Amino acid sequence: MIEFKQVNKFYGDFQVLKDINLKINKGEVVVVVGPSGSGKSTLLRCMNHLETISEGTLTVNGVSVGDKKTDINKLRRNIGMIFQHFYLYPHKKVLENITLAPMKVLGQSVKEAKETAMYYLEKVGISDKAESYPSQLSGGQQQRVAIARGLVMKPEIMLFDEPTSALDPEMIGEVLDVMKALAKEGMTMVVVTHEMGFAKEVADRIVFMDEGRILEEAVPAEFFENPREERARLFLSRILNH
Amino acid sequence: MNLLAPFIEVLTLDNIKFLLEGFMVTLKVAAISIVLSSIIGGLVGTLRYAKIPVVSQLLAVVVETIRNLPLLLIIFFTYFALPEIGIDMEIMTAAIVALTIFESAMLSEIIRSGLNSIDKGQIEAGRSSGLNYIQTLSYIVMPQALRRMVPPIVSQFISLLKDTSLAVVIALPDLLHNGQILYAQTGSGVTPIFTIVALMYFIVNFTLSRVARRLELKQV
Repeated sequence: MIEFKQVNKFYGDFQVLKDINLKINKGEVVVVVGPSGSGKSTLLRCMNHLETISEGTLTVNGVSVGDKKTDINKLRRNIGMIFQHFYLYPHKKVLENITLAPMKVLGQSVKEAKETAMYYLEKVGISDKAESYPSQLSGGQQQRVAIARGLVMKPEIMLFDEPTSALDPEMIGEVLDVMKALAKEGMTMVVVTHEMGFAKEVADRIVFMDEGRILEEAVPAEFFENPREERARLFLSRILNH
Repeated sequence: MNLLAPFIEVLTLDNIKFLLEGFMVTLKVAAISIVLSSIIGGLVGTLRYAKIPVVSQLLAVVVETIRNLPLLLIIFFTYFALPEIGIDMEIMTAAIVALTIFESAMLSEIIRSGLNSIDKGQIEAGRSSGLNYIQTLSYIVMPQALRRMVPPIVSQFISLLKDTSLAVVIALPDLLHNGQILYAQTGSGVTPIFTIVALMYFIVNFTLSRVARRLELKQV
């Protein structure tokens, strides 16, 4: 579904991604971990062309992402993205946040868009906040709205860029629960996170990155109990033993 | 009573009518310049924000040039220099053109920086939901930026209204100009005449800034 072949990415002289080869299959939940600055977010952001790759090929559903002939807006409809800082539209009510893209991109009627939006708001458990503004919501609620906003486009892929990193600890659970439910329904998910509990429980595969390279790919049990790479071992010891 | 006497002396019906005529010219020149410079400034500011290759750089040069010249010079230039290359305008047209050129440059900067103040994450959120760039700009960035821009834009409008008085140098028959004529004719009424002129400017500008304040409060 998503495939990187020999991908490199440079910011000037600095190489952010090095020799990336990665294949993500339909329905798979892939969790990307690694120290900060290792290129995890960049890797994720390349998948919906928020970042461009410098070399190699990247295809999503068989379509080349960076190709000039590719209709990137059409491709993006099919890829939901969740950000660390939510990025809800502060001037719009929760419901309007969710109905904007379906109405403007998919051409849905107000009624249809609202009905679908309410369905997803219920799904993430905050239908009672439909008429509130984002600023009136807690961080956890805002992130759940952001997830509903992504889901309403009925994407085949959902990307999560550190979805719980900006949240107070007591709100992390509610967001992870929504993500777990999504994973169970068979959504293809790529998640950059430091939540190792989530990774262990939900991931089909862990991708460990350091200094722009994918150093290890393994199923969670293997990765957490017996990481092959020295740097992965070091990373895990730092993150798990604090 | 002694204090008011000079006012009563000056405040004849004819004199008031004459001042109001000037006032209407001021308002007319200001209103037309506001509308034109809002359109041009909005367009230029947005184009510069969008970083369209060549176009944005070209506009940057133009805007910077205009912004760094005194308005008075631009008025002189429009009225006295442009005829030499065959562009001859009436006084009022010249005043409107000069003000529009200057204020468009100022407004474009307000609009550009207002747009820039919106978190790039908002654009990323919009674009990744499948909205194209123009849709993202018009539904997400612009509405948020406009709210922030209201106070500086209104204060620019107030400046513009006051700056119309600079067109006195090309003899635009505006409020200040007519005030000066009255004073020259009567010789004695300098304080009352300029007080009335000042009041007229003040009332309009103060109203403008009150309206702006209400707009600001409404958004909170």
